[in-house]
Amino acid sequence: MTVELDKLILGANPFEGVSYQSRAQAVHYQEQFAKEENVAAVLGAANTAGVKAFTCSNTSSVMGALKTYSKINDLRIYPVIPNAYEYAMEASEKGVLGAVLSKAKGFSMYQKVKFGLRALTKIKSVLTKDVMDLLLELLNFEMASFEKFNLGGVILHGQITDMALSSHNPDLIGIFQDVIRDTFNLEPILATHNFGTLLPQLVEWKIRIPIMAPFNAKGFMMKPSKDECETLVRESGYQILAKKVLAGGRLTPEEAFPYLLDKNVASVVIGIGSVSEAYHTFSVAKNILKV
Amino acid sequence: MTPGRRGPEPKENQGEKTLNHPKKVRVALIGLGKLGILHTAVVNMIPDAELCALVDVNKQLSRYAAQAGLKAPFFTDTERMLAEIRPDAVVICTPAFANLSVARPCLERGLDVFVEKPLAHTFEAAKTMVALAGRGNVVSATGYLMAHMTIFQKAKSLISEGVLGRLERVRSSVYTSEVFAKKKGWLYDREKSGGGAVINIASHLLYLLYWYFGQAREVFAQAKAIYSDVEDAATALLLFDGGLHGTMDVSWSLPGYRLPHTEIHIEGDNGTMEVSGDYIKLYLFHAHKSYPREWTTIHKIDLPSTGRFIIGAEGLYEEDQDFVSRCLDRGRPAVSWSDGFEVQRMIEAIYRSAARKKVISTGDLA
Repeated sequence: MTVELDKLILGANPFEGVSYQSRAQAVHYQEQFAKEENVAAVLGAANTAGVKAFTCSNTSSVMGALKTYSKINDLRIYPVIPNAYEYAMEASEKGVLGAVLSKAKGFSMYQKVKFGLRALTKIKSVLTKDVMDLLLELLNFEMASFEKFNLGGVILHGQITDMALSSHNPDLIGIFQDVIRDTFNLEPILATHNFGTLLPQLVEWKIRIPIMAPFNAKGFMMKPSKDECETLVRESGYQILAKKVLAGGRLTPEEAFPYLLDKNVASVVIGIGSVSEAYHTFSVAKNILKV
Repeated sequence: MTPGRRGPEPKENQGEKTLNHPKKVRVALIGLGKLGILHTAVVNMIPDAELCALVDVNKQLSRYAAQAGLKAPFFTDTERMLAEIRPDAVVICTPAFANLSVARPCLERGLDVFVEKPLAHTFEAAKTMVALAGRGNVVSATGYLMAHMTIFQKAKSLISEGVLGRLERVRSSVYTSEVFAKKKGWLYDREKSGGGAVINIASHLLYLLYWYFGQAREVFAQAKAIYSDVEDAATALLLFDGGLHGTMDVSWSLPGYRLPHTEIHIEGDNGTMEVSGDYIKLYLFHAHKSYPREWTTIHKIDLPSTGRFIIGAEGLYEEDQDFVSRCLDRGRPAVSWSDGFEVQRMIEAIYRSAARKKVISTGDLA
């Protein structure tokens, strides 16, 4: 089954203060995108450049920007769930479930009634619950943040995908697939940093889901190796969303996009750090990739 | 001075050492907290390793582990696991105060042991562990992850080949945004953790300084508790053999550090080098081999990748792979307990100096 995916998707790494270049750039991103209007400005520039898809976690500044973004009805969002970074940060003190509860406090009364109260009751008695029940609650929690938006597909966070992969456990991914398809009527997507290990395992498990993974001319974060990833992406028949295409900023758009031409990727996800960068990068991408 | 006389040799371009040994190393994982779960994931992906048992005092985790797909039998008691499973090696990820008591029966059985950093919560406990390990022919490794990160390996190579000439000064820091109010848990209880930001955050940086420059000869430090019962920040003046001197500054209470950020600035008579997790920036007065006069920037992204799998952090797979490979070839791990003990010696010197407000000679800490 082939799923309809947006060809170009705006990524959110800069909005979340992530830079692979330097601490100085990370600080610049943190400062700049703490202001919701700056997030909205990049979303607007991407929209003007013809990119109407966006992938993000439910971090507060991004969610705040989405609430006030004037062209929200013209934007398709691919949520990345769960927000593993925020849970990991809070988990050392509160435990994973305490971190979930903390996040749930931000929901509206309507959302709590619809999702939260049921889940909170269960989490209070968490020690009697199964892992799969908890995963379901977590997915529901996270999806509640995005319920008002037009959604394109739902991406399982790479840390969760890779944990499931390392424990050789198809059930975790199977549940994600079923919940996203059956409950939310959306297409599940798996993010990973271990594409070359994940894909053969998915084939063995007979799970066919689009995969979002790093692909770039430098081989940055292409595991287990650039060559193995390239061979698999050519031969697999899986739909691939390429991320880190600019190799964490070490490639210009002009250098980066030609690499993708023969790689059989369905979508390209690009994090953008400014309005001018949005116009330039997407213009080059559309020109080279013919989208 | 001769930089980097101690610690592992630079590993740049050494690549992954998968030995394709006919026998897999049967590894038991003890302690299923955040890091224990990550090590479990990594060990499960190493071709030369077999995860043969899981141990945690929390019995409830047994059901979670099974449902998450971990097939290895679960125990709440290390001694019982050792008797029933008879593993070849153990990976210990317990809270620091438990490391000695968990490691002791493993060492008594002659098992190879990896223990997450710090080696122990106190200098005395670390000393006992090293002595126990020294009695047998065991592989003893510890989790100073930065030894396995390509950018810090590259910096070690540059220092070792003398790019900077005679080393004069080093300024180093590690900061993270983690503690802005009093927190609960063993990590913030000095009796259990051994301290705060120094032992838990700066120990990684102290390992790098030890790896790059050898053991500090003298230490003078100040530590400050701002939110916690343990120190939230500290500054140390360090004097190394050969006249190199410098600073180490740590805080886990600085805003704007989404993840821990380490920086080392080194000054030599042929220039300067700035090292961080993202890049190395060299400024040379005179060209050295392939490095030209004035500026050179080496980005982490441009360095060849090593590990075949990544989860949690760069280097974690390489770290566990190194341990498993050394279990098979009986070689010295990249970061041995002896190295971990030298870091513990620096930590102890910092704490003693801060408490007594005087210079501490690390050589006096026997």
